[in-house]
Amino acid sequence: MNRRFFIALLITLGTFRPLDAAAGPDCSRPFTLALHEHGLLYSSDTDSGIDKDVADELIRRSGCKVTTSLLARARIWQLIESGALDFTLSGISNAERDKFAGFAWYFSNKYYLLVRKDAGVRNQADFEQNDKLQLGVIRGFRYSPSANRLVDKLHAASRVSQAGGLAPLYQTLLLGHIHGMIIEPFDYPTLEEKRIRDVTSIIEFSDASVPHGLVMSKTSLPPAEQEKWRALINGMRSDGSMRRIFEKYFKVDLAAAMVDF
Amino acid sequence: MTTASVSPPASRLLFLPWLILFAMLGATWFVWDHERQNARKELHTQFDFALRDTVSRIEQRVAAYEQLLRGVQGLFATTGLRNRQAIHDYVEPLRGDPNLSGMQVIGVIERVPSARKAAHVRAIRRLGPADYSIHPEGEREIYAPVIQRESYSGRHQAPLGLDTWANPVRRQAMETARDSGLAAITGKVQLAIDNGVEGNPGFIMYLPVFAQGQPRDSVAQRRDSLIGWVYASFHMRDFMASLYGRQAEGLAFAIYDGAVPSDAALMYRNREAAGGALSAKEYMVVASHTWTLTLVTQEEFENRFGRDISLIIAVAGVSLSLSMALLAWSMISGRARALLLAAKITEELRHMAQHDSLTGLPNRALFSDRVQNKLAHARRQDRRFALIFLDLDKFKPINDKYGHSVGDLLLRQVARRLQDSIRASDTVGRLGGDEFVLLIGDLTGAADALALAEKIRQEVRRPYTINGHQLTISCSLGVAIYPDDGTDELALTKRADEAMYRAKDSGRDSVQLA
Repeated sequence: MNRRFFIALLITLGTFRPLDAAAGPDCSRPFTLALHEHGLLYSSDTDSGIDKDVADELIRRSGCKVTTSLLARARIWQLIESGALDFTLSGISNAERDKFAGFAWYFSNKYYLLVRKDAGVRNQADFEQNDKLQLGVIRGFRYSPSANRLVDKLHAASRVSQAGGLAPLYQTLLLGHIHGMIIEPFDYPTLEEKRIRDVTSIIEFSDASVPHGLVMSKTSLPPAEQEKWRALINGMRSDGSMRRIFEKYFKVDLAAAMVDF
Repeated sequence: MTTASVSPPASRLLFLPWLILFAMLGATWFVWDHERQNARKELHTQFDFALRDTVSRIEQRVAAYEQLLRGVQGLFATTGLRNRQAIHDYVEPLRGDPNLSGMQVIGVIERVPSARKAAHVRAIRRLGPADYSIHPEGEREIYAPVIQRESYSGRHQAPLGLDTWANPVRRQAMETARDSGLAAITGKVQLAIDNGVEGNPGFIMYLPVFAQGQPRDSVAQRRDSLIGWVYASFHMRDFMASLYGRQAEGLAFAIYDGAVPSDAALMYRNREAAGGALSAKEYMVVASHTWTLTLVTQEEFENRFGRDISLIIAVAGVSLSLSMALLAWSMISGRARALLLAAKITEELRHMAQHDSLTGLPNRALFSDRVQNKLAHARRQDRRFALIFLDLDKFKPINDKYGHSVGDLLLRQVARRLQDSIRASDTVGRLGGDEFVLLIGDLTGAADALALAEKIRQEVRRPYTINGHQLTISCSLGVAIYPDDGTDELALTKRADEAMYRAKDSGRDSVQLA
């Protein structure tokens, strides 16, 4: 009798889970996560990329039902703000976004100015000073502080062409219609990478690395829930699975530099 | 002396108009520059907004049509690809909805591997039309013929069986839709319903249809489970007309297929663009396809938002600066002129107060002043001076005979002769009527005074010519010497006056010492 009671107690205690972050997020409703087409982050042609892998792993660990969709980046930020969308990946913060979004960082990288070799540009100032040079950017994108300053200055001088994605920017860069664009390490397209590397050179912005992370809508997720999702991301970083995802797409040392920050 | 006392402050103030001119021109430049930059900034902001708005309206419209097509795609979760009635019933209520007027056709395409071609053709012929065939003809590995076409307007008809897979532009979009599982649009195409009539560029949007219950999570799975596509075709002109909202006026924009805006790629243009102040290109990605939007400001837009009043500011500012500087100059130089005038009038008044208006000689008050000065001087220096009273003899008869005007002229001439007879340091004054008085300084003795008085008597006696009349007049003089005949003005005056009357009494035309 006593023994039986003791076993029953053990079973009860064993099924009881403390209400902390380790318990995982509240899955009582389905969530939404949006990907955006962007270089190595996600390609709808192959339905693969870093963001897709991170999303799959995150969803698996959460145990929640998460519907993923593909949207334009500018639209994603609008929906995160309104609360119609719960998550997106590889987002960077700024004062405005901090008001409506929480972040769980998982990699960090620098921004680079990719310029055509024939533009005669050796540094950022060269590009800025040559009125003939056009910069291509993706609508709704923000970068590191000096890159943002460059974009804003050239925009005021009508020297910026905007695009809905990376593909037309690479295409127009190859054609010489634009002469530079701001990129991150994961921005090289899988196709035509060699052709692009042949005609361009890379100038590093002097800013520090900018952290990127899981973006959580503050409107749809209370702080305690955000903390739980953040714990999942931290778990992926600490057990090495995040690094393994990045090693699929980058050389080992670059993957390490991006993930360990 | 008077002018000198006014001109230095005036000349010092003359820099003021220049200061005002430069300060106001400076202010004008500042306002002008500020306005110009504001106008430019406003134009830029409005242009950016118009660009963003145009892009967003196109994207939203594409998204709306995509949603509509998803409805058709969704039908196939419950029915087969060849259920024509279902598609027809779905599209039927949409006909006549002006909101969807941009769309020409909703259609269905079946994926047919070459092995199943003959069976496919037989099956479709049973459904009708009986002459159904896949065209263009020829043996290919894969066919993707149109098996149903529901025209939005009901007007456009074209034979079924067009193998869209054989057309590279269509095939590319169909492959993208298949691999991504999402909507994809083609580049610029001529729609089948145009039946070869050119000049109305269009595009087609495809959504993949997968076999029910088959996995579709990877590209490979999607390729395996694909059974066909649903599509919507558009004429670009009608599509653009169906956009929500209003396009900002005064903007010329064009849409090109792909990232290179060439004539061949032109899909739509709202108007011919004249070179504008601002232009921009945006590479839109619409349903996995790139469209290049070019936007150029036209005069109306520039006039409305970049209304530059800097020219008005410049003209008004420069005019105002000049006016203010001129005003300041005229006020300052006017003040100087007024001061001069006031000084002159003051001087005239003082002269009038101290001189006889007829002869201009010092009057009694000024003469008395001079006597006091002379007295003080003589006392200090122990000098002698003479006070001489002079009265014309029988002046009244001349006045009566020739009139006052001749009398006055005679008095003036006498006055001049008296002035000419003495030194500049001596004074001759007129006390009134025909009475004159002389103050003669620096005498050695009474004899000097007497000699001078005698000389004056002779001088006065010389004939005068006045208005054609030859006149003569004599005078009687009385001489008093300081300090011999008195040590103050009153005493001296009295003694000279008495001496003069003695001269009169002794038969006139003579000199008497006191």
